[in-house]
Amino acid sequence: MRATASAEFAAAPELPDILPPAKPRRGIVGFAWRHPSMAIGLVILAAMVFVAVFAPWLGTVDPTALAPIKRTRPPGAEFWFGSDAYGRDIYSRVLYGARISLIVGFAVAIIASLAGLAIGLVSGYVRVLDGLIMRIMDGMMSIPPILLAVALMALTRASVENVVMAIAIAEIPRVSRLVRGVVLTLREQPYVEAAIAAGTPTPMVILRHILPNTIAPLTVQATYICGSAMIIESILSFIGAGTPPIIPSWGNIMADGRTLWQVKPFIILFPAIFLSLTVLAVNLLGDGLRDALDPRMAKRI
Amino acid sequence: MLGYILRRILSTLPVMVFVALFVFSLLYIAPGDPAAVIAGEQASPEDVEKIRKSLGLDRPFLVRFTEWSGQILSGDLGTSMFTGLPVTELIGQRVEPTLSLMIVTLSLAVLIAVPIGVLAAWKAGSWLDRGIMGFAVLGFSVPVFVVGYLLAYVFALELDWLPVQGYTPLARGFWPWLENLILPSIALGLVYIALIARITRATMLEVLSQDYIRTGRAKGLGERPILFLHALKNAAVPIVTVIGIGVALLIGGAVVTESVFAIPGLGRLTIDAIVRRDYPLIQGIVLVFSFVYVLVNLVVDVIYTMLDPRIRY
Amino acid sequence: MDRRTVLKGLAAAGGAAATSHLAAPALAQGSAKVLKFVPQSNLANFDPIWGTQYVVRNASQLVWDTLYGMDSKLQPKRQMVDSETVSADGLTWTFKLRSGLKFHDGEPVRAKDVVASIQRWQVRDGMGQLLKSVEKELSAVDDTSFKWVLSKPFPKMLLALGKVGTPCCFIMPERIAKTDPFKQITEYVGSGPMKFVRADWKPGALAAFEKNAAYVPRSEPADWWAGGKVVNFDRIEWVIMPDPATASAALQNGEVDWWENPISDLVPILKRNRNIKLDIADPLGNIGAFRLNHMHKPFNNVLIRRAVQVALSQEDYMRAIIGSDDKLWKPIPGFFTPGTPLYSEEGGAPLKGKRDLALAKKLLKDGGYDGTPVTCLVAQDQPPLKAMGEITADLLKKIGFNVDFVATDWGTVGQRRASKNPPGQGGWGMFHTWHSGSDCASPVGNIAIRTAGQKAWFGWPDNPEIEKHIASWYDAKSLDEEKKIIGTVNKLGMEHVTYIPTGFWLGYQAWRSNVSGITNGPLPWFWGPKKA
Repeated sequence: MRATASAEFAAAPELPDILPPAKPRRGIVGFAWRHPSMAIGLVILAAMVFVAVFAPWLGTVDPTALAPIKRTRPPGAEFWFGSDAYGRDIYSRVLYGARISLIVGFAVAIIASLAGLAIGLVSGYVRVLDGLIMRIMDGMMSIPPILLAVALMALTRASVENVVMAIAIAEIPRVSRLVRGVVLTLREQPYVEAAIAAGTPTPMVILRHILPNTIAPLTVQATYICGSAMIIESILSFIGAGTPPIIPSWGNIMADGRTLWQVKPFIILFPAIFLSLTVLAVNLLGDGLRDALDPRMAKRI
Repeated sequence: MLGYILRRILSTLPVMVFVALFVFSLLYIAPGDPAAVIAGEQASPEDVEKIRKSLGLDRPFLVRFTEWSGQILSGDLGTSMFTGLPVTELIGQRVEPTLSLMIVTLSLAVLIAVPIGVLAAWKAGSWLDRGIMGFAVLGFSVPVFVVGYLLAYVFALELDWLPVQGYTPLARGFWPWLENLILPSIALGLVYIALIARITRATMLEVLSQDYIRTGRAKGLGERPILFLHALKNAAVPIVTVIGIGVALLIGGAVVTESVFAIPGLGRLTIDAIVRRDYPLIQGIVLVFSFVYVLVNLVVDVIYTMLDPRIRY
Repeated sequence: MDRRTVLKGLAAAGGAAATSHLAAPALAQGSAKVLKFVPQSNLANFDPIWGTQYVVRNASQLVWDTLYGMDSKLQPKRQMVDSETVSADGLTWTFKLRSGLKFHDGEPVRAKDVVASIQRWQVRDGMGQLLKSVEKELSAVDDTSFKWVLSKPFPKMLLALGKVGTPCCFIMPERIAKTDPFKQITEYVGSGPMKFVRADWKPGALAAFEKNAAYVPRSEPADWWAGGKVVNFDRIEWVIMPDPATASAALQNGEVDWWENPISDLVPILKRNRNIKLDIADPLGNIGAFRLNHMHKPFNNVLIRRAVQVALSQEDYMRAIIGSDDKLWKPIPGFFTPGTPLYSEEGGAPLKGKRDLALAKKLLKDGGYDGTPVTCLVAQDQPPLKAMGEITADLLKKIGFNVDFVATDWGTVGQRRASKNPPGQGGWGMFHTWHSGSDCASPVGNIAIRTAGQKAWFGWPDNPEIEKHIASWYDAKSLDEEKKIIGTVNKLGMEHVTYIPTGFWLGYQAWRSNVSGITNGPLPWFWGPKKA
């Protein structure tokens, strides 16, 4: 794993822990004590998943039901988070919106990781294709991800699947570069060379020796992608190229409230808090994972 | 060194060709008809068809691509379909605001992020460190437009310290120029500050644990500031890298920031062009953006070799 | 303690910097000779014949003069023309230009320039095409007069030359007017009161106009597009704003002088600001439209079209578009502009009164609705269209339609609505748009009511009887006769459900209180306003 770090920066030797050894604790408390950021992240994320799954039973109404007569009501007894420009209940929309944003975040993370993994493995292992693939990835990376996603959205019609695909495509090059870096260093490892020398078939080498070692950095990367995908989703909606407006997503709720930010700030405020909290949780989880899996990866961000 | 730069430039050529081909094909198959937008509400389908012909949109892919590539090679990015103005002129008008926004953002980010990153590394493990790092994670987590609106509300509308929108060219004075850029730069720079602060802290921690620093300490070089300056010099390489990587991030963020603060820059031009399907303009902008990205990364790599003699290509 | 107090508290912490800066915004508004105007949308091109968006017309009125101009009573009045005569048989028109007209390049305006300009306009304008079809000869007699010989009288001649609807008949130099009407002009020389500053034009950000010192205004007082166009500014800057919130903030801070179309939700904060004045912008307003595709299932069946008509609540649409201000909208059970002579409510009963969802469901059943999804094309980049789309999705679902909601941008709607294919193959079922009240005042601009089948406007409604009545309007001799014809057209259109009006709404305009003389009308008029 040290190899992942040294792929880009000059590596430093491992250091002994300067802090005095902490008294080991057990169970959940122990885990939280040892990995506070991961614990906080997990708790918030679990809460969001709970909200998303149980949205219909949490005092919500139909999030798409319009009531233009009751538009832009401030938060109160009838509308806990207020109502938007079409009289829809923001509380219900925010809770249901958790579903969309989480789906987008997780789906992009999974798709980008799997596709990036495949491309990275091929590129790192099949030398003939490496140059070509990496040039293509460089080309894609040189287009700013948001521009690429906006352009891809202009290509297709607005739907959650298309938003997921557009963001995922923009993220793939980064993942494949990461995986390729890992593969390249792993290839040089004596045990891998030994396996190859012993005549192990290529798929087997990849499956048994290479793949397992990419999982850790990939998982950490996936959490960051998940967080940034949710932010990009909101930005796409803000620009008007995101999920279809009749589907409540946090980005859409904010986009609807955009022109009213001076007079009805609550329309943007509630989804913004939920979005920021969720992304924060995912990022904390990512940091925690990184520290737990490999402290050396800290520098990769 | 010169040979290296030349090789790097040569190797970016295929990248640029790929980008050009990709963008062109993407737009070719995209739905949406600029002719319909131009013709307006009262136009008949026949009129729309005539306008489409006069714009050359009815010709096959290969013909249009070959023609366009030929133009690019001669330095001509074509003519915008809507305004009838040359794409180079349209982009040229917008470069200064975007460039200014990026430079101010970058300077601000480095000025804030590096000291707090160093501070966090110095006090590693303390509450100060946790606070700074917590803020850094938060910086990643709030969408740029939310920060933008918040800043505009507090500092422009309520306090009236700074203008709420617009851009003043540098030619009209330094302060008027800067005044318009402060709020957008903070909004846009937040992610960047977070990123650079984190990388600074991480590399500082690593450098501080290097043998030669420890030797220095052992020799009694206890003076913290000197030590940090020493370490910072060595931490510069990854920090510069992040700045290079972050340019793409910055360009993406600029699109939104320019909308929030009505800055007439490239980001807004891009959105307008995409919404209106102004193909030559979109192609031109994306090419320019990727060219800038490639260029910045080239510069970053060169700075690398200067900062750290160990890196040789 | 409310939020404002908290923020003020924070401000106090800011200290002296705050006070020293308070005076700045007053300066930001700039000189009294420069007007900063925020238009409804971006001036993306500048050829009023080639591109027919309203914003292009509104900018063009500064640069190009017209032969006639509409006054506030919707009557065309002489503008560039000094006098006109028409022969007793109504077939020969002779026009004489007034003296002293000069283009911005110093050349005088000659009759041949006018003829070339009319010819270019004719190709692109509906009324121009009608004129063309009865035209025998259009030619310059000498430098200052031209004649038009027709094969059939055309009583609406002056209305055609002075109409407000796009494209307007703007007069350009002959060399520019010779440009193919389907190609954009590249030179912006006119004879109007302002010159276009080409070097300062940043599409999407700024357009600037400077005073044409050589312009000789008419002696009559200005009234809308008619009368003396006296501009009190050396320079007019059009500042393009990316969204209404930013425009509002800029006006509040005094960074701009005049905003053409503030959205109604922001009006309350603008009203609270004593430095800002507000008024209705265009008394002729806008008419929202639910446009149906008459060629394909399900809306090829009149019963199913009526199902939507009886359930559609104009109040819902209007509130979604203009917000909570009830002064700004009214229901409109007709196709013509309220407040204009031809307005009619004949046959409008299905749009009045309590909305009848049960009847809608019954009509849907009687019409044999088979579950074919309604493909709704909804442009997200135009706020009124986005708002109407949200209401429609909800309405159609309530009635019992299957809805295929295509959220896209105006460019794509513009393309896809032209497709006559079935909805499943790139076609569509319905889309929203809106028509300007000044266009809908008469059949001249009201193209949406036409029912000429394949040759009609998008949606291709087919009803020869309505067409026959519309054609007879052009030959009507008196207003009473016109009203009678239009009443019938309105009634038949409602029965046929050519399209469904979603309401009539007005918009505000807002300006800094140191600007005086802003009037209302279908366009922002720049002659009259003054800045202190």
